[in-house]
Parts: sequence; C-alpha cells; structure tokens
Amino acid sequence: MKRLTALLLLSLPLAAAEPPPFKDRARAIIDTYAHPKTGDSGYATIASRLWLREDSAWCSRRLEELLAAPSGDMFWMFPMTAVMYLDRGQLSDSARLKLRQAWKTYMPYRGDTENHWLLYYTSLYLAAQMWPDRGGDEWYTGKSSEENLEEARQWIESWVRLTTTRGQGEYDSPHYMGVYLIPMSYLAAWAKDPAMKKRATMMLDYLIADYAPENLDGIFVGAQSRVYDKQLLEKWANVATDFGWLWFGIGRPNTPFNSYPLYYALASAYEPPEILRRIATDRSQPYTHYERKRTRNRWRFNDERNGPVYKTTYVRREYAVSSDQGGVLQPIQQHSWDVTWSVPDARGVQNILFALNPHSSVRELQTYFVFGPDAAVEGVVRSKKMYDSPDKFSGGSPYEKIVQDRDTLIALYDVEKGARFPHINAFFSKDLNEVREDASGWIFARGGEALIAFRPLQPYVWKPIEGGGRRLFSPYRKNGVVMQVAATSEFADLDAFRRAILALPLKVSLEPKPTVRFQSLRGSLIEFTYGETPKVGGIAIDYANWPLFGGPFLEAAVDSEQLLIKHGIMRRKLDFRNLTVKDATSN
Amino acid sequence: MRFFLWLAAATLPLAGQHTLYTCTAMTREYVVGAKLLPSGIFSHVETGKWKHEGYNHPFVFGLDYDPKDPSTIYIAAGNGLIRASEHGQHWKILTGSDVTELRDVALDPNAPGAIYFAHCAGIRYSPDSGATWREIGGSLHRKFTEAIRVDRRRAGVLLAGNEEGIFRTEDGGAHWKLAGASGFQIMHMEQSPHDPCHWLAVTEQGGVFASRDCGVSFESSGGAIGVGHNLYDIAFDPSKTGRIAVAGWGIGVAVSSDGGKSWQLRNVGLPRPDAWSVAFDPDHPGRLYASIQEEALYISDDAGANWKIAGLAGSQIPRMKFIPAAKPK
Repeated sequence: MKRLTALLLLSLPLAAAEPPPFKDRARAIIDTYAHPKTGDSGYATIASRLWLREDSAWCSRRLEELLAAPSGDMFWMFPMTAVMYLDRGQLSDSARLKLRQAWKTYMPYRGDTENHWLLYYTSLYLAAQMWPDRGGDEWYTGKSSEENLEEARQWIESWVRLTTTRGQGEYDSPHYMGVYLIPMSYLAAWAKDPAMKKRATMMLDYLIADYAPENLDGIFVGAQSRVYDKQLLEKWANVATDFGWLWFGIGRPNTPFNSYPLYYALASAYEPPEILRRIATDRSQPYTHYERKRTRNRWRFNDERNGPVYKTTYVRREYAVSSDQGGVLQPIQQHSWDVTWSVPDARGVQNILFALNPHSSVRELQTYFVFGPDAAVEGVVRSKKMYDSPDKFSGGSPYEKIVQDRDTLIALYDVEKGARFPHINAFFSKDLNEVREDASGWIFARGGEALIAFRPLQPYVWKPIEGGGRRLFSPYRKNGVVMQVAATSEFADLDAFRRAILALPLKVSLEPKPTVRFQSLRGSLIEFTYGETPKVGGIAIDYANWPLFGGPFLEAAVDSEQLLIKHGIMRRKLDFRNLTVKDATSN
Repeated sequence: MRFFLWLAAATLPLAGQHTLYTCTAMTREYVVGAKLLPSGIFSHVETGKWKHEGYNHPFVFGLDYDPKDPSTIYIAAGNGLIRASEHGQHWKILTGSDVTELRDVALDPNAPGAIYFAHCAGIRYSPDSGATWREIGGSLHRKFTEAIRVDRRRAGVLLAGNEEGIFRTEDGGAHWKLAGASGFQIMHMEQSPHDPCHWLAVTEQGGVFASRDCGVSFESSGGAIGVGHNLYDIAFDPSKTGRIAVAGWGIGVAVSSDGGKSWQLRNVGLPRPDAWSVAFDPDHPGRLYASIQEEALYISDDAGANWKIAGLAGSQIPRMKFIPAAKPK
C-alpha cells in the first residue's frame, strides 16, 4: 500500500501547489531505487530493499555477486556502509561474511579531495564501530578496530572544526554537496557515540543552512567550487535540486532522482527545522548574503595551503546574482559568477548568464593535484572533457577579478601573453528573451522576470553552441564585463530599463590595467581596477573582516565554530565547541 | 593471510639475487568511475610474467626495503606509508590522516628503524620503524617534496628534492641547506653505487644536476639533456661504473656511458619517447628496464640499444626497484 502511495506521489504533477509531506518524499526516493525500471540493480537497490524489508534473499544473493570482485574507492565504501547498517538481521550469514571480508581483503583508495576523505573516514568509522575488538589482521588498513575508529573520529572532527571556522574547501557544489550530506546523515543515524551523533546532526543543519539562502525554487545558485558542464548551464539538473525538493518540497526533482538523496534518506532522513524551511522559501525581500569559504589544498606554488574565498550572493524572488572574487580557487570545475533567473518550471531551461576567461594550465592542475606535468591535462580531459577546450564555460582563471554590489557585477580580465586561451566567453542562453545589442555597447535581455544589462568592454562576435544558445567570444586580453540586473516589476518594459541603464555614469579604460567606474542602478559608485582592491561608495572592500556567514539569515564569524540561523523572530544557534543547539524566538 | 602470500619459498630468488618490484598504475583507457584495473605493487616472477602483490592500490609512487630484512618493503602510497612485511603476508598502513599522497620513501641503512618519506606537504621521519612520526620539512619554505634520499655513508644525512630545488641536511632534518637546482622542481635523485659522493638529480625543465662533493652542492650537468623537458627518473648501473640512464617525457630513455657528461637517446624500438622510470638489473650487466607511458614495461639487454616488451601492458610505472633476496631466517 505504501509503495502504491509512493508511486501515486511520483505520478502526480510535481508543480501541484502542496508538495507531499517530507516522509512521503523520502519514501518516494527510496521506492524509486528499490524498484528500478531499468539499469543495474546494485548497492542502491539492495540498500533500499533492506530499508523496506523487502526480498532479503535477493539482497543477499545480489550482494554476494557484487562482492565477488569489489571495485571502487570511497564511492564503494559508502553504499557498503548503508547495506551493513540496513541489514538488521535480513542478510544471509554468507552475505554478511562477505561484507566483513571485504573490509579485510579490499583496500579502497582514500582519494584526494575533502568529500573523498569524509566518505572514506565516515565509512571506516562506522565499519570499525560495527566490528569492534578486531585485530589489525582483520582490516585492510592493518590497524585494529580501535585504531581505525580513532583515526576516523579524529579526522571527522577536524573536518567539522575546519568547516565551522574557515568554511568548506569544496564549497557550495550543487553536485558534491550530496557527498557531505551523506556522511553526516549516516553518523546522525548510526554513530553510537552521542557526541558524534549530535555533531553530525548539527552539521546537517549547518550544511542545509549553507544551501537555504542561496536557492531559487530549489536551484542552488551562485559561485560554486565544482559543477559539471551540463548542470552548469541547466542548473535544475543538479543533485541540489533533488535535495531542495526532499527537504522543502520546492522545485522539481530529477527523473529519476539522483542517488545521493537516496543514501541521505536511507540513513537519518533528517528533516530540516522550520526555520530552515522559511529561509529556503522566503523571497519576500531582496537580500545580500555573504560567505567565506576556502580553496582546496594547494600543494604547490603557494605559501598558504588554503586561501580564502569571498562570496557575495544577492537574492530576490525573480533572480540571484552571485560571485567570488575571481582567480583559480578550485581546479577544473569552478564557477565564479552569474545571474540566475527564476522560472516556473526549470526543467530543460538554461536560466543563467555569465562570462569567463577559459583557462587551462598544467600549473593550475599541479597547484591542486600531485600530477606530474606531462600527463596531467590528458588525464583530466578523460573525465572532464571540456577542461582543455577554448569553448568551455567552467573553470576559474588567474586572469579574472570580480566585484559585486547587490545586483551589479563587474568582472575584469587581464590575460597574460602566451596564455593558452586569451579570450573571453560569455554564455547567452537559448532561454533569454528580447536580446538586443544596443549601439551604446550594452546588450539588453530578459530572462524570466529578470532584466539584464550586459556590457562587454571589448568587441566580440557570436558563436553558436551545440544544444542552443550563443557564445559571446571576445578575443582581447584586456577585457571585462559590467552587468546590472533588475526585476521586470521595476520597469515598464525593456526600453525603460535600457534608458535607465544608459543614464548611469560608466567610465572604462583598458590600459595599463582594465578599470571601470560605474554608478549602479542601486546608487552605488563602484570603482574597480584589475588587481586592486575594489571600492564601493568610495570605501575599499574589507576582505579582512569578511564573515564566514553574513546576511539576514545567517551569521558566523571566522574561527567561531558557531552559526546563528535567523528568520523573523526565530533563532537557532549552533555551537560546535560545546555541541549545543539553542532555539529561541525574539523580537 | 594466505591470500596475500607472495611467492612460495621455492620460487624466491637465491641469496644475492634481486627481484624487480614496480609501482604500477594501469591507466590506459581508465577514466574516473570505471572499474579499477589491477594496480599497485608488481613483482617480476620471470621473463614476461608478473605478480600483483597484495592489495589493489591505484596510487603507489615509491618503495624501499628494510636493509636488515629485505622481505619487508615500504610503499609510498596515496593512502599513506604502507609496510608489507614477511614477503607480503602482513600489510599495514603506518600513517594516519595527517599525510596523504606520498611521493617517495627511503630507509637509512645506518640507523635501523629510521624511515623517511616525502609527501605533498613535507617530509616525515620515523625513528622506530613507523610506530611514531614527526615532520622534518617544517623549515623548508615550500613543502611539496617529490624526492627523499638517504646518504648511505652516515646516518641522518639526507637530500630532499622539492619545488624549489635540492636541500641537504646533516642532522636528520633539523636544519636544511639549499644544495642546488634552485627554482627547479626536483623529480628524483640517486646516489651512485660506485662513488657515494656522486649524486644525480633530475628535474622539471632544468635537466640533470650532479654533485661530486657528497651532495653538498649540485650543478647543472650533461649539457642539454632534459632541458625544456621533464625528467622523471635516473638510474645508475650497478654493474658498470659511469653508465647511467634517465627517463623523461619527450626524451624517452637516454643513456650515458661517461658518468653523465654526455648522453645518447636510446628509443629505437620504443613506441613513444615518453618514459616514466628506468632501472638497471644488478644481476644482468647491461639489462635495462623502462616504463613507457601507458604502453608497457620494456626491457633491453644491451643498455637500450634494442628493446622488447617485458609486460605490464597499459601501465604507468613511476618507480621501480630491485630488491635483494632476504636471507633465510
């Protein structure tokens, strides 16, 4: 009966005014994986059926097949861990023995990113907890259960501390957010140590709070550390969208659901508190939200291993404008700025506009990876096919500097001579309307209810994009973009918006360094020279005092290990030093 | 742990003989997310036959053995420093979450139990066979360290190659001095088996650097070999003084017969001039091995004049080492 209910839920138009309750949404995801229509029935199906207490004989048989030849790393470990904890007496002795043996005979690679390590150590922690008092000869590590548990505990705690003091290294990834949520969901559900359980539950609040103010109808907006090429342009198609739907019933989930929300739902299935739901859905007033994150580990060419990332995100019902400060903050998949506009149904819609200097270099890769120089680019391109393409739309550039004030953004470029791709690409979506190239040099367009003024600082040509849309191509090393966005409700039409923009003082020079002086639509004078600290209203931006979180909904100071979540009169304070959560209402 | 038993005693090399071990990643046609191909430590059983030792691990970059007990090897791996003891019956990761992606490992023959490894954020030292560790690269400006070697003449004398050159310490890492190749990323270093005061180092873009004063100072050597290219490995021929080989990208294999003063490319018969590592066989004079990018391991019985495939098709082998047979206990 429950299965039927879930299927009915899925078949309902998801745009229906009232989404199903949280538990039914979680159940719908689990049902999808328990009964896949096509494709391989792997660990996800086993785990889902164990959760549902269905077909344990099949689960045992299939598990033994899969464990005959384990392959994979931490992305193998975490499904295994779910199966272990969802067994609850259902698996055959033989299957359970194979599970145990896998931790002895197979050495998964720990990986080289923060999410890899969190998955690895969370899985090892829970495995060591499940099989205590085993000697080193019972584990692939050669260490005892106690040693494995302690090593994993220390690293997980160090990650929590680092995240709540300096921010995440793989910040705000609409894809990889899932593999931070899964470990915390696991620990919240299955850790026996009350402190670890509580810490993980608090981190779920923390991670969901990190997403809530930066979403538009479930779409994770903004500058992001890692995003894939297709999902960069079609933002709806990200994992984040499924989490938005699961947590808050907003947006439209992918079909089928991504598997990351599945593992989240199989473990704690933590339902966010009401205050986070309000933050995620309240777009009644425009706001600016600030975050400080950090770069991934920079092994070479830098004195500081994790540099700061300064994010600004302006959000209103109709659109969001977001940016980091520019530069190579992440390898390969960084996305530094854009305007994303809201649409009633984002499926298949490319509701985004941005520009970048496409940058590809061995130095970038060697900064963040331990690759030797010669096979590095080739190795990356095998899985990230656009990395070395001049046409690409993702990746940071050392030649890009950005400033943002509310919905005004200036990006400047000064590309070094000899750079592999000395040009600017801008993405103009197939879903933009009323695109007009004005004699003034501005390009005007409308995306949903967002009016966009986009001013390239150098001449350009248009190039087609496979799949629709156009690429603005500007082959000048000293270059830039000024972008001003407004809501359709603020102007009678695009012409009125155009007139308002043309009335704004704009002064541009490109030598010796690209420089822009612009009076924004919101009244701010923005002065920005490439490589210098930008000024807004005559005051230099104070990067030194940039908060870990700042804005109407979240407050956290760097190094605080605390987060204050706010909405209206509601307050929730997370204190990781004392592992306390305090809820309050205040006027 | 029969699962991990290496060769039975009957197939072990005789005392005085050596076995070639390779740090191998099978990467041809591999993409992230695909099924992992067998990778890790391979030992050469006989011509063309290899044995995958112990666990699958896609990231192993260096190895060394315990000079007092060659049946114990130490592996610089992505997951940490791994000890494989008693002919591989027991494996243990000796390090924790504080280090990752190790680059090189060296044991001190004059200090039993002393292990050093280079990692992507420094250099670690253990005085007690890996029971405890401490960082000894803290005083170096840049931390990424690709190479670590121990001077076999005296305990505690080390050479480290990082992204800023070659550094030398005489006190186990308490103090380091720049020894040469300033500004170049060092890829590997070796001490001559014939003259302990002769050292060679290979670099990214800077070619070969040599020391004739026991590693105190290094100077550019060998003319243009490797300049503008990346050299990944260097090997002295233990059976012939003055014969040295280097491996590099765009260089392939180059061999010197005069101690590194001049070099000849030895790529005839190799499928491409992109080599990761080289090693001379101490038991067969003139026998040279070379790892060619994602092609195979190649063998030459005439110091590189002619080559044939020795196995491990599709591999990258960043390092290989001949390890002497363990004495029966």
